[in-house]
Amino acid sequence: MNYEIVCGIETHIELATKTKIFCGCTTEFGGEPNTHCCPVCTGQPGSLPILNQKVVEYAIKAGLALNCKINTKSHMDRKNYVYPDLPKAYQISQYDEPLCEKGYIELDSGKRIGITRIHIEEDAGKLIHESGLTYIDYNRSGVPLIEIVSEPDISSAEEAKEYAEKLQLIMRYIGISDCKMQEGSMRCDVNLSLRKPGDPRFGVRTEIKNINSLSFIQKAVMAEAERQADILDAGGTVVQQTMRYDEGTNSVTPMRDKENSDDYRYFPDPDILRFCVDDKKVEEIRESLPELPFDKLKRYMNVLGLSEATAKQIFRYRMVAEFFEDTLAEGASVKNTANLIVVTIFSNMDTEEEKELFAIRISAAQFAALVKLADEKKINIGVAQSTLQKMLESGKPVEEFIKPEDLVGISDEALESLCKEAIDANPEAAANVRNGKDKAINVMFGYIMKKTGGKADIRKAEVLLRKLIRQ
Amino acid sequence: MFVSSGDLTAAAVRKGVRIMAISKTEIEKLAKLAKLSFTDEELERFTAEFDEIIAFADTVNQSIEGGTEQIRSVDARMVSFDDLRPDEVVPSLPNDKILSNVEGYNGFFKVERSKK
Repeated sequence: MNYEIVCGIETHIELATKTKIFCGCTTEFGGEPNTHCCPVCTGQPGSLPILNQKVVEYAIKAGLALNCKINTKSHMDRKNYVYPDLPKAYQISQYDEPLCEKGYIELDSGKRIGITRIHIEEDAGKLIHESGLTYIDYNRSGVPLIEIVSEPDISSAEEAKEYAEKLQLIMRYIGISDCKMQEGSMRCDVNLSLRKPGDPRFGVRTEIKNINSLSFIQKAVMAEAERQADILDAGGTVVQQTMRYDEGTNSVTPMRDKENSDDYRYFPDPDILRFCVDDKKVEEIRESLPELPFDKLKRYMNVLGLSEATAKQIFRYRMVAEFFEDTLAEGASVKNTANLIVVTIFSNMDTEEEKELFAIRISAAQFAALVKLADEKKINIGVAQSTLQKMLESGKPVEEFIKPEDLVGISDEALESLCKEAIDANPEAAANVRNGKDKAINVMFGYIMKKTGGKADIRKAEVLLRKLIRQ
Repeated sequence: MFVSSGDLTAAAVRKGVRIMAISKTEIEKLAKLAKLSFTDEELERFTAEFDEIIAFADTVNQSIEGGTEQIRSVDARMVSFDDLRPDEVVPSLPNDKILSNVEGYNGFFKVERSKK
Protein backbone atom coordinates (compact mmCIF):
# COMPACT_ATOMS: atom_id res chain seq x y z
CA MET A 1 0.00 0.00 0.00
CA ASN A 2 1.25 3.47 -0.81
CA TYR A 3 1.04 6.23 1.73
CA GLU A 4 1.55 9.95 1.70
CA ILE A 5 4.02 11.43 4.21
CA VAL A 6 2.68 14.30 6.31
CA CYS A 7 5.61 15.90 8.12
CA GLY A 8 6.30 19.06 10.08
CA ILE A 9 9.56 20.14 11.71
CA GLU A 10 10.15 22.02 14.96
CA THR A 11 13.56 23.64 15.06
CA HIS A 12 15.27 25.03 18.14
CA ILE A 13 18.00 27.56 17.43
CA GLU A 14 20.32 29.05 20.06
CA LEU A 15 20.61 32.79 19.57
CA ALA A 16 24.07 34.35 19.42
CA THR A 17 23.40 36.98 22.08
CA LYS A 18 26.07 37.85 24.63
CA THR A 19 23.80 37.28 27.62
CA LYS A 20 21.03 34.90 28.63
CA ILE A 21 17.39 35.63 27.91
CA PHE A 22 16.40 36.84 31.39
CA CYS A 23 19.70 37.72 33.13
CA GLY A 24 23.12 39.18 32.39
CA CYS A 25 25.04 35.88 32.67
CA THR A 26 27.20 35.05 29.67
CA THR A 27 25.97 32.59 27.04
CA GLU A 28 29.51 31.46 26.27
CA PHE A 29 29.67 27.75 25.48
CA GLY A 30 31.38 25.48 28.02
CA GLY A 31 33.09 26.88 31.11
CA GLU A 32 33.40 25.15 34.47
CA PRO A 33 30.00 23.80 35.63
CA ASN A 34 27.65 26.33 37.23
CA THR A 35 29.94 29.32 36.74
CA HIS A 36 27.67 31.16 34.26
CA CYS A 37 24.82 31.27 36.77
CA CYS A 38 22.99 33.70 38.99
CA PRO A 39 19.81 33.69 41.12
CA VAL A 40 17.64 34.26 38.01
CA CYS A 41 18.86 31.39 35.84
CA THR A 42 18.99 28.99 38.78
CA GLY A 43 15.40 29.88 39.67
CA GLN A 44 15.96 31.22 43.19
CA PRO A 45 12.84 32.45 44.96
CA GLY A 46 12.42 36.21 44.73
CA SER A 47 14.64 36.65 41.67
CA LEU A 48 13.21 38.68 38.81
CA PRO A 49 13.71 37.78 35.15
CA ILE A 50 14.10 40.73 32.74
CA LEU A 51 13.80 40.11 29.01
CA ASN A 52 16.88 40.69 26.84
CA GLN A 53 16.22 43.20 24.06
CA LYS A 54 18.57 41.45 21.63
CA VAL A 55 16.54 38.24 21.90
CA VAL A 56 13.42 40.05 20.71
CA GLU A 57 15.37 41.76 17.92
CA TYR A 58 16.93 38.50 16.70
CA ALA A 59 13.61 36.64 16.79
CA ILE A 60 12.00 39.41 14.74
CA LYS A 61 14.93 39.24 12.29
CA ALA A 62 14.28 35.52 11.92
CA GLY A 63 10.58 36.17 11.41
CA LEU A 64 11.15 38.81 8.74
CA ALA A 65 13.68 36.61 6.91
CA LEU A 66 11.09 33.79 6.89
CA ASN A 67 8.28 36.01 5.57
CA CYS A 68 6.38 36.04 8.88
CA LYS A 69 3.86 38.46 10.25
CA ILE A 70 5.35 40.12 13.37
CA ASN A 71 3.10 40.41 16.39
CA THR A 72 3.86 43.84 17.79
CA LYS A 73 2.38 42.83 21.15
CA SER A 74 3.63 39.70 22.83
CA HIS A 75 4.13 38.12 26.24
CA MET A 76 5.89 35.24 27.97
CA ASP A 77 4.15 32.17 29.41
CA ARG A 78 5.14 29.54 31.92
CA LYS A 79 5.28 25.99 30.60
CA ASN A 80 5.12 23.73 33.63
CA TYR A 81 7.03 20.52 33.87
CA VAL A 82 8.88 18.83 36.67
CA TYR A 83 12.36 17.82 35.62
CA PRO A 84 15.66 18.99 37.12
CA ASP A 85 17.06 20.43 33.85
CA LEU A 86 15.01 23.53 34.69
CA PRO A 87 15.32 24.54 38.34
CA LYS A 88 12.06 26.54 38.45
CA ALA A 89 9.90 23.51 37.45
CA TYR A 90 8.71 25.59 34.51
CA GLN A 91 10.23 26.91 31.34
CA ILE A 92 9.54 30.51 30.34
CA SER A 93 8.28 30.27 26.79
CA GLN A 94 5.50 31.71 24.63
CA TYR A 95 2.13 30.07 24.07
CA ASP A 96 -0.71 32.08 22.57
CA GLU A 97 1.12 35.26 21.58
CA PRO A 98 4.32 34.20 19.75
CA LEU A 99 6.47 36.98 18.31
CA CYS A 100 6.13 35.81 14.70
CA GLU A 101 3.48 33.87 12.77
CA LYS A 102 2.47 32.69 9.30
CA GLY A 103 5.65 32.70 7.24
CA TYR A 104 7.14 30.29 4.73
CA ILE A 105 10.29 28.85 3.18
CA GLU A 106 10.27 28.25 -0.56
CA LEU A 107 11.84 25.03 -1.80
CA ASP A 108 13.69 24.76 -5.14
CA SER A 109 10.57 23.22 -6.65
CA GLY A 110 8.65 26.40 -5.86
CA LYS A 111 6.62 24.62 -3.17
CA ARG A 112 6.22 26.66 0.00
CA ILE A 113 6.57 25.09 3.43
CA GLY A 114 4.53 27.17 5.85
CA ILE A 115 6.01 28.49 9.10
CA THR A 116 3.29 28.33 11.73
CA ARG A 117 5.08 30.38 14.36
CA ILE A 118 8.38 31.48 15.87
CA HIS A 119 8.56 32.02 19.60
CA ILE A 120 11.30 32.82 22.11
CA GLU A 121 12.11 30.72 25.16
CA GLU A 122 14.91 29.67 27.51
CA ASP A 123 17.15 26.64 27.10
CA ALA A 124 17.46 24.06 29.90
CA GLY A 125 20.51 22.95 31.86
CA LYS A 126 22.60 19.89 31.14
CA LEU A 127 22.15 16.66 33.11
CA ILE A 128 24.74 13.93 33.48
CA HIS A 129 23.36 10.62 34.75
CA GLU A 130 25.95 8.48 36.46
CA SER A 131 25.82 5.54 38.89
CA GLY A 132 22.37 6.22 40.29
CA LEU A 133 22.88 9.97 40.58
CA THR A 134 22.26 12.99 38.39
CA TYR A 135 24.76 15.85 38.15
CA ILE A 136 23.45 19.20 36.93
CA ASP A 137 25.18 22.08 35.17
CA TYR A 138 22.99 25.16 34.72
CA ASN A 139 25.40 27.13 32.51
CA ARG A 140 23.07 26.55 29.53
CA SER A 141 19.96 27.24 31.58
CA GLY A 142 18.47 30.50 30.31
CA VAL A 143 20.42 30.63 27.03
CA PRO A 144 17.96 32.15 24.53
CA LEU A 145 16.30 29.95 21.93
CA ILE A 146 13.86 30.49 19.15
CA GLU A 147 11.57 27.65 18.23
CA ILE A 148 10.50 27.65 14.59
CA VAL A 149 7.45 25.48 13.96
CA SER A 150 6.60 24.48 10.39
CA GLU A 151 3.21 23.51 9.02
CA PRO A 152 2.83 19.79 8.17
CA ASP A 153 3.51 20.69 4.52
CA ILE A 154 6.57 18.48 4.08
CA SER A 155 5.80 15.35 2.08
CA SER A 156 9.13 13.60 1.52
CA ALA A 157 12.49 12.94 3.19
CA GLU A 158 14.19 15.12 0.56
CA GLU A 159 11.85 18.03 1.27
CA ALA A 160 12.52 17.65 5.00
CA LYS A 161 16.25 17.92 4.42
CA GLU A 162 15.92 20.83 2.00
CA TYR A 163 13.69 22.71 4.44
CA ALA A 164 16.20 22.34 7.30
CA GLU A 165 19.13 23.18 5.03
CA LYS A 166 17.50 26.38 3.79
CA LEU A 167 16.44 27.36 7.29
CA GLN A 168 20.01 26.90 8.53
CA LEU A 169 21.46 28.96 5.68
CA ILE A 170 19.01 31.84 6.18
CA MET A 171 19.61 31.94 9.94
CA ARG A 172 23.38 31.99 9.43
CA TYR A 173 23.11 34.79 6.86
CA ILE A 174 21.14 37.06 9.15
CA GLY A 175 23.76 36.42 11.83
CA ILE A 176 21.50 35.37 14.70
CA SER A 177 23.06 31.93 15.26
CA ASP A 178 25.89 29.75 14.03
CA CYS A 179 23.34 26.90 13.70
CA LYS A 180 25.88 24.14 14.35
CA MET A 181 23.79 20.98 14.51
CA GLN A 182 26.60 18.80 15.84
CA GLU A 183 27.14 21.26 18.74
CA GLY A 184 23.44 21.60 19.46
CA SER A 185 22.95 25.24 18.49
CA MET A 186 20.37 23.97 15.98
CA ARG A 187 18.21 20.95 16.85
CA CYS A 188 15.31 19.50 14.91
CA ASP A 189 12.26 17.53 16.04
CA VAL A 190 10.37 15.81 13.24
CA ASN A 191 6.62 15.13 13.46
CA LEU A 192 5.42 12.51 11.03
CA SER A 193 2.29 10.62 10.11
CA LEU A 194 1.10 8.71 7.07
CA ARG A 195 -2.21 8.77 5.25
CA LYS A 196 -3.70 7.31 2.11
CA PRO A 197 -3.28 9.64 -0.87
CA GLY A 198 -6.20 12.03 -1.10
CA ASP A 199 -7.40 11.40 2.44
CA PRO A 200 -8.00 14.79 4.10
CA ARG A 201 -7.65 13.32 7.60
CA PHE A 202 -4.29 13.09 9.35
CA GLY A 203 -3.00 9.76 10.63
CA VAL A 204 -1.59 9.25 14.13
CA ARG A 205 1.75 11.03 14.35
CA THR A 206 4.99 10.38 16.16
CA GLU A 207 7.69 12.86 17.08
CA ILE A 208 11.38 12.13 16.52
CA LYS A 209 13.35 14.24 18.97
CA ASN A 210 16.68 16.06 18.74
CA ILE A 211 18.05 15.13 15.34
CA ASN A 212 21.54 16.58 15.08
CA SER A 213 22.52 16.52 11.41
CA LEU A 214 20.90 17.40 8.11
CA SER A 215 21.45 14.00 6.55
CA PHE A 216 20.00 12.31 9.66
CA ILE A 217 16.79 14.31 9.14
CA GLN A 218 16.40 12.74 5.70
CA LYS A 219 17.29 9.27 6.97
CA ALA A 220 15.06 9.54 10.04
CA VAL A 221 12.05 10.57 7.93
CA MET A 222 12.62 7.61 5.61
CA ALA A 223 13.09 5.16 8.48
CA GLU A 224 10.02 6.37 10.38
CA ALA A 225 7.81 6.42 7.26
CA GLU A 226 8.83 2.82 6.55
CA ARG A 227 8.20 1.77 10.15
CA GLN A 228 4.72 3.32 10.15
CA ALA A 229 3.90 1.86 6.71
CA ASP A 230 4.82 -1.62 7.97
CA ILE A 231 2.48 -1.21 10.95
CA LEU A 232 -0.39 0.05 8.79
CA ASP A 233 0.16 -2.63 6.13
CA ALA A 234 -0.09 -5.29 8.84
CA GLY A 235 -3.45 -3.84 9.86
CA GLY A 236 -2.09 -2.24 13.05
CA THR A 237 -2.34 1.29 14.38
CA VAL A 238 0.48 3.73 15.00
CA VAL A 239 0.90 4.73 18.64
CA GLN A 240 1.43 8.41 19.38
CA GLN A 241 4.93 8.40 20.82
CA THR A 242 8.16 10.29 21.17
CA MET A 243 10.88 8.55 19.20
CA ARG A 244 14.63 8.63 18.94
CA TYR A 245 16.63 8.19 15.72
CA ASP A 246 19.70 5.97 16.05
CA GLU A 247 22.22 6.72 13.32
CA GLY A 248 24.22 3.55 14.04
CA THR A 249 21.36 1.22 13.15
CA ASN A 250 19.47 3.77 10.99
CA SER A 251 16.33 3.00 12.96
CA VAL A 252 13.71 4.84 14.97
CA THR A 253 12.81 3.59 18.45
CA PRO A 254 10.38 4.85 21.12
CA MET A 255 11.75 7.09 23.88
CA ARG A 256 8.63 7.36 26.01
CA ASP A 257 4.89 7.46 25.54
CA LYS A 258 3.21 10.81 25.12
CA GLU A 259 1.57 10.72 28.51
CA ASN A 260 -0.34 12.99 30.75
CA SER A 261 2.75 14.91 31.78
CA ASP A 262 2.55 16.75 28.48
CA ASP A 263 -0.23 18.84 29.96
CA TYR A 264 1.99 21.86 30.46
CA ARG A 265 -0.64 24.11 32.07
CA TYR A 266 0.57 27.24 30.27
CA PHE A 267 -0.27 30.57 31.82
CA PRO A 268 1.13 34.11 31.43
CA ASP A 269 4.29 34.63 33.49
CA PRO A 270 3.31 37.24 36.08
CA ASP A 271 6.97 38.25 36.61
CA ILE A 272 7.43 39.52 33.05
CA LEU A 273 5.42 42.39 31.66
CA ARG A 274 3.79 42.12 28.29
CA PHE A 275 5.89 43.95 25.72
CA CYS A 276 5.31 45.76 22.46
CA VAL A 277 7.51 46.46 19.47
CA ASP A 278 6.13 49.27 17.35
CA ASP A 279 5.94 49.16 13.55
CA LYS A 280 8.76 51.68 13.25
CA LYS A 281 11.09 49.38 15.17
CA VAL A 282 10.05 46.40 13.03
CA GLU A 283 10.83 48.42 9.89
CA GLU A 284 14.21 49.40 11.36
CA ILE A 285 14.99 45.73 11.93
CA ARG A 286 13.79 44.86 8.42
CA GLU A 287 16.18 47.44 6.97
CA SER A 288 19.07 45.97 8.97
CA LEU A 289 18.65 42.59 7.25
CA PRO A 290 21.40 41.69 4.79
CA GLU A 291 20.65 40.43 1.28
CA LEU A 292 19.11 37.01 1.91
CA PRO A 293 20.88 33.93 0.53
CA PHE A 294 18.45 32.99 -2.21
CA ASP A 295 18.21 36.57 -3.46
CA LYS A 296 21.99 36.55 -3.58
CA LEU A 297 22.06 33.29 -5.52
CA LYS A 298 19.67 34.72 -8.11
CA ARG A 299 21.75 37.87 -8.43
CA TYR A 300 24.99 35.90 -8.85
CA MET A 301 23.43 33.99 -11.72
CA ASN A 302 21.26 36.62 -13.38
CA VAL A 303 23.25 39.80 -12.82
CA LEU A 304 26.84 38.63 -12.39
CA GLY A 305 26.44 35.83 -14.93
CA LEU A 306 27.96 33.04 -12.81
CA SER A 307 27.05 29.47 -13.69
CA GLU A 308 24.56 27.86 -11.32
CA ALA A 309 27.20 25.41 -10.05
CA THR A 310 29.72 28.14 -9.22
CA ALA A 311 27.13 30.52 -7.77
CA LYS A 312 25.86 27.76 -5.49
CA GLN A 313 29.34 26.98 -4.20
CA ILE A 314 29.96 30.61 -3.26
CA PHE A 315 26.59 31.76 -1.88
CA ARG A 316 26.15 28.93 0.58
CA TYR A 317 28.88 30.21 2.90
CA ARG A 318 28.26 33.70 4.15
CA MET A 319 31.95 34.51 4.72
CA VAL A 320 32.89 33.28 1.25
CA ALA A 321 30.16 35.37 -0.36
CA GLU A 322 31.42 38.42 1.55
CA PHE A 323 35.02 37.78 0.47
CA PHE A 324 33.89 37.30 -3.13
CA GLU A 325 31.96 40.57 -3.14
CA ASP A 326 34.77 42.49 -1.39
CA THR A 327 37.16 41.27 -4.09
CA LEU A 328 34.82 42.44 -6.84
CA ALA A 329 34.57 45.80 -5.10
CA GLU A 330 38.37 46.11 -5.52
CA GLY A 331 37.87 45.91 -9.27
CA ALA A 332 38.60 42.23 -9.94
CA SER A 333 36.60 40.38 -12.62
CA VAL A 334 33.68 38.16 -11.67
CA LYS A 335 34.81 35.10 -13.58
CA ASN A 336 38.43 34.92 -12.46
CA THR A 337 37.54 35.79 -8.85
CA ALA A 338 34.88 33.09 -8.68
CA ASN A 339 37.04 30.45 -10.35
CA LEU A 340 40.09 31.11 -8.18
CA ILE A 341 37.93 30.85 -5.03
CA VAL A 342 36.22 27.65 -6.09
CA VAL A 343 39.27 25.94 -7.60
CA THR A 344 42.25 27.09 -5.57
CA ILE A 345 41.01 28.41 -2.23
CA PHE A 346 38.45 25.63 -1.74
CA SER A 347 41.07 22.98 -2.56
CA ASN A 348 42.66 23.97 0.76
CA MET A 349 39.42 23.41 2.65
CA ASP A 350 38.27 19.84 3.07
CA THR A 351 35.28 20.28 5.35
CA GLU A 352 32.07 22.29 5.32
CA GLU A 353 33.15 23.83 8.63
CA GLU A 354 36.36 25.20 7.10
CA LYS A 355 34.42 26.83 4.27
CA GLU A 356 31.90 28.16 6.78
CA LEU A 357 34.69 29.73 8.87
CA PHE A 358 36.72 30.74 5.79
CA ALA A 359 39.79 31.66 7.83
CA ILE A 360 42.31 32.61 5.14
CA ARG A 361 45.57 34.50 5.44
CA ILE A 362 45.08 37.06 2.70
CA SER A 363 42.71 40.01 2.45
CA ALA A 364 40.20 40.61 -0.32
CA ALA A 365 42.38 43.52 -1.51
CA GLN A 366 45.45 41.27 -1.74
CA PHE A 367 43.43 38.65 -3.58
CA ALA A 368 42.06 41.29 -5.96
CA ALA A 369 45.61 42.45 -6.79
CA LEU A 370 46.38 38.95 -8.02
CA VAL A 371 43.09 38.46 -9.86
CA LYS A 372 43.59 41.74 -11.70
CA LEU A 373 46.96 40.53 -13.07
CA ALA A 374 45.09 37.58 -14.56
CA ASP A 375 42.29 39.86 -15.77
CA GLU A 376 44.84 42.00 -17.61
CA LYS A 377 46.41 38.84 -19.02
CA LYS A 378 49.74 39.74 -17.44
CA ILE A 379 49.81 36.24 -15.99
CA ASN A 380 47.95 33.19 -17.19
CA ILE A 381 45.44 31.38 -15.02
CA GLY A 382 47.89 28.58 -14.13
CA VAL A 383 50.37 31.06 -12.71
CA ALA A 384 47.54 32.84 -10.91
CA GLN A 385 46.55 29.56 -9.29
CA SER A 386 50.05 28.57 -8.20
CA THR A 387 50.79 32.09 -6.95
CA LEU A 388 47.54 32.18 -5.02
CA GLN A 389 48.45 28.90 -3.38
CA LYS A 390 51.77 30.41 -2.24
CA MET A 391 49.96 33.50 -0.97
CA LEU A 392 47.51 31.37 1.01
CA GLU A 393 50.32 29.37 2.57
CA SER A 394 52.47 32.36 3.50
CA GLY A 395 49.93 35.13 3.99
CA LYS A 396 52.19 37.33 1.83
CA PRO A 397 50.99 39.67 -0.96
CA VAL A 398 51.35 38.95 -4.67
CA GLU A 399 54.42 41.20 -5.08
CA GLU A 400 56.40 38.71 -2.99
CA PHE A 401 56.03 36.12 -5.72
CA ILE A 402 55.63 38.03 -8.97
CA LYS A 403 58.20 40.76 -9.66
CA PRO A 404 57.34 43.61 -12.03
CA GLU A 405 59.97 42.35 -14.47
CA ASP A 406 58.18 38.98 -14.63
CA LEU A 407 55.15 40.74 -15.93
CA VAL A 408 56.62 41.83 -19.25
CA GLY A 409 54.43 39.94 -21.62
CA ILE A 410 55.81 37.65 -24.31
CA SER A 411 55.42 39.24 -27.73
CA ASP A 412 53.56 37.36 -30.47
CA GLU A 413 56.77 37.08 -32.48
CA ALA A 414 58.69 35.68 -29.55
CA LEU A 415 55.91 33.20 -28.89
CA GLU A 416 55.85 32.08 -32.52
CA SER A 417 59.56 31.43 -32.58
CA LEU A 418 59.27 29.59 -29.29
CA CYS A 419 56.58 27.39 -30.81
CA LYS A 420 58.84 26.60 -33.76
CA GLU A 421 61.59 25.78 -31.33
CA ALA A 422 59.26 23.48 -29.40
CA ILE A 423 58.32 21.58 -32.57
CA ASP A 424 61.93 21.24 -33.69
CA ALA A 425 62.94 19.97 -30.30
CA ASN A 426 60.13 17.39 -30.24
CA PRO A 427 59.78 16.04 -33.81
CA GLU A 428 58.20 12.79 -32.66
CA ALA A 429 55.47 14.53 -30.65
CA ALA A 430 54.76 16.87 -33.56
CA ALA A 431 54.40 13.86 -35.89
CA ASN A 432 52.02 12.22 -33.41
CA VAL A 433 49.81 15.32 -33.34
CA ARG A 434 49.81 15.35 -37.12
CA ASN A 435 48.67 11.69 -37.07
CA GLY A 436 45.73 12.46 -34.77
CA LYS A 437 47.25 11.73 -31.34
CA ASP A 438 46.10 15.06 -30.01
CA LYS A 439 47.39 14.61 -26.48
CA ALA A 440 50.94 14.73 -27.76
CA ILE A 441 50.60 18.51 -27.99
CA ASN A 442 51.13 18.62 -24.21
CA VAL A 443 54.80 17.85 -24.78
CA MET A 444 55.15 21.12 -26.69
CA PHE A 445 53.14 23.01 -24.05
CA GLY A 446 55.51 21.73 -21.42
CA TYR A 447 58.50 22.93 -23.40
CA ILE A 448 57.06 26.43 -23.85
CA MET A 449 55.99 26.76 -20.22
CA LYS A 450 59.39 25.68 -19.00
CA LYS A 451 61.14 28.18 -21.23
CA THR A 452 58.87 31.07 -20.17
CA GLY A 453 58.50 30.20 -16.52
CA GLY A 454 54.80 29.60 -17.03
CA LYS A 455 54.16 33.06 -18.42
CA ALA A 456 53.16 32.18 -21.99
CA ASP A 457 49.51 32.50 -23.00
CA ILE A 458 48.70 28.87 -23.48
CA ARG A 459 45.65 29.43 -25.70
CA LYS A 460 47.60 31.57 -28.12
CA ALA A 461 50.41 29.02 -28.09
CA GLU A 462 47.96 26.25 -28.94
CA VAL A 463 46.63 28.10 -32.00
CA LEU A 464 50.16 28.80 -33.19
CA LEU A 465 51.37 25.24 -32.58
CA ARG A 466 48.48 23.69 -34.51
CA LYS A 467 49.04 26.11 -37.40
CA LEU A 468 52.78 25.36 -37.51
CA ILE A 469 52.33 21.58 -37.21
CA ARG A 470 49.87 21.51 -40.11
CA GLN A 471 52.32 23.43 -42.39
CA MET B 1 -7.97 25.37 33.20
CA PHE B 2 -8.21 27.59 36.27
CA VAL B 3 -9.22 30.64 34.30
CA SER B 4 -12.02 28.96 32.41
CA SER B 5 -13.60 27.07 35.28
CA GLY B 6 -13.00 30.08 37.53
CA ASP B 7 -14.79 32.40 35.14
CA LEU B 8 -17.64 29.96 35.01
CA THR B 9 -17.86 29.94 38.79
CA ALA B 10 -17.74 33.73 38.97
CA ALA B 11 -20.62 33.97 36.51
CA ALA B 12 -22.56 31.39 38.51
CA VAL B 13 -21.88 33.22 41.76
CA ARG B 14 -23.19 36.45 40.24
CA LYS B 15 -26.37 34.64 39.33
CA GLY B 16 -26.57 33.33 42.88
CA VAL B 17 -25.83 29.76 41.89
CA ARG B 18 -22.86 28.00 43.37
CA ILE B 19 -21.22 25.28 41.23
CA MET B 20 -17.98 23.47 41.93
CA ALA B 21 -14.92 25.27 40.48
CA ILE B 22 -12.88 22.12 40.29
CA SER B 23 -13.72 18.45 39.99
CA LYS B 24 -12.26 15.45 41.75
CA THR B 25 -10.92 14.17 38.39
CA GLU B 26 -8.98 17.39 37.96
CA ILE B 27 -7.49 17.06 41.44
CA GLU B 28 -6.48 13.49 40.59
CA LYS B 29 -4.78 14.71 37.43
CA LEU B 30 -2.92 17.46 39.30
CA ALA B 31 -1.80 14.97 41.94
CA LYS B 32 -0.46 12.71 39.21
CA LEU B 33 1.42 15.61 37.58
CA ALA B 34 2.90 16.56 40.94
CA LYS B 35 3.82 12.91 41.51
CA LEU B 36 1.73 12.75 44.70
CA SER B 37 -0.63 9.98 45.71
CA PHE B 38 -3.68 10.37 47.92
CA THR B 39 -6.34 8.17 49.41
CA ASP B 40 -9.88 8.60 48.18
CA GLU B 41 -10.82 10.33 51.40
CA GLU B 42 -7.95 12.81 51.01
CA LEU B 43 -8.95 13.50 47.42
CA GLU B 44 -12.48 14.36 48.51
CA ARG B 45 -11.17 16.71 51.17
CA PHE B 46 -8.69 18.42 48.82
CA THR B 47 -11.34 18.88 46.17
CA ALA B 48 -13.50 20.77 48.63
CA GLU B 49 -10.55 22.84 49.90
CA PHE B 50 -9.36 23.66 46.38
CA ASP B 51 -12.85 24.70 45.48
CA GLU B 52 -12.96 27.18 48.35
CA ILE B 53 -9.54 28.60 47.44
CA ILE B 54 -10.53 29.10 43.82
CA ALA B 55 -13.84 30.63 44.79
CA PHE B 56 -11.92 33.11 46.94
CA ALA B 57 -9.50 33.93 44.13
CA ASP B 58 -12.46 34.49 41.87
CA THR B 59 -13.57 37.47 43.93
CA VAL B 60 -10.89 39.31 41.90
CA ASN B 61 -12.90 38.62 38.79
CA GLN B 62 -16.00 40.12 40.33
CA SER B 63 -14.25 43.32 41.33
CA ILE B 64 -12.76 44.02 37.91
CA GLU B 65 -14.80 44.68 34.82
CA GLY B 66 -13.73 42.10 32.24
CA GLY B 67 -12.07 39.79 34.78
CA THR B 68 -8.40 38.76 34.95
CA GLU B 69 -8.06 38.87 31.15
CA GLN B 70 -8.59 42.60 31.41
CA ILE B 71 -5.66 43.02 33.80
CA ARG B 72 -3.33 41.42 31.33
CA SER B 73 -4.41 43.47 28.37
CA VAL B 74 -4.11 46.91 29.88
CA ASP B 75 -1.64 48.70 27.61
CA ALA B 76 -0.31 50.81 30.48
CA ARG B 77 1.21 47.65 31.93
CA MET B 78 3.21 46.97 28.82
CA VAL B 79 6.87 47.76 28.26
CA SER B 80 8.20 48.94 24.93
CA PHE B 81 11.15 47.47 23.04
CA ASP B 82 13.43 50.28 24.21
CA ASP B 83 12.71 49.46 27.85
CA LEU B 84 13.93 45.88 27.55
CA ARG B 85 17.27 44.88 29.07
CA PRO B 86 20.37 45.74 26.97
CA ASP B 87 22.47 42.70 26.03
CA GLU B 88 25.42 43.43 28.35
CA VAL B 89 27.20 40.78 30.37
CA VAL B 90 27.28 41.17 34.15
CA PRO B 91 29.41 38.92 36.35
CA SER B 92 27.78 35.64 37.41
CA LEU B 93 27.88 34.40 40.99
CA PRO B 94 30.87 32.36 42.11
CA ASN B 95 30.27 28.60 42.00
CA ASP B 96 30.43 28.17 45.79
CA LYS B 97 27.69 30.79 46.22
CA ILE B 98 25.50 29.05 43.64
CA LEU B 99 25.97 25.74 45.46
CA SER B 100 25.82 27.19 49.00
CA ASN B 101 22.40 25.73 49.84
CA VAL B 102 22.74 22.37 48.14
CA GLU B 103 24.88 19.32 48.08
CA GLY B 104 27.33 19.86 45.25
CA TYR B 105 29.96 17.68 43.66
CA ASN B 106 32.88 19.08 41.65
CA GLY B 107 30.91 22.22 40.89
CA PHE B 108 27.77 20.31 39.87
CA PHE B 109 24.42 20.11 41.61
CA LYS B 110 23.94 16.53 42.74
CA VAL B 111 20.49 14.95 42.92
CA GLU B 112 19.02 11.48 42.94
CA ARG B 113 18.95 9.92 39.52
CA SER B 114 16.12 11.40 37.52
CA LYS B 115 15.42 10.20 34.05
CA LYS B 116 12.42 10.98 31.93
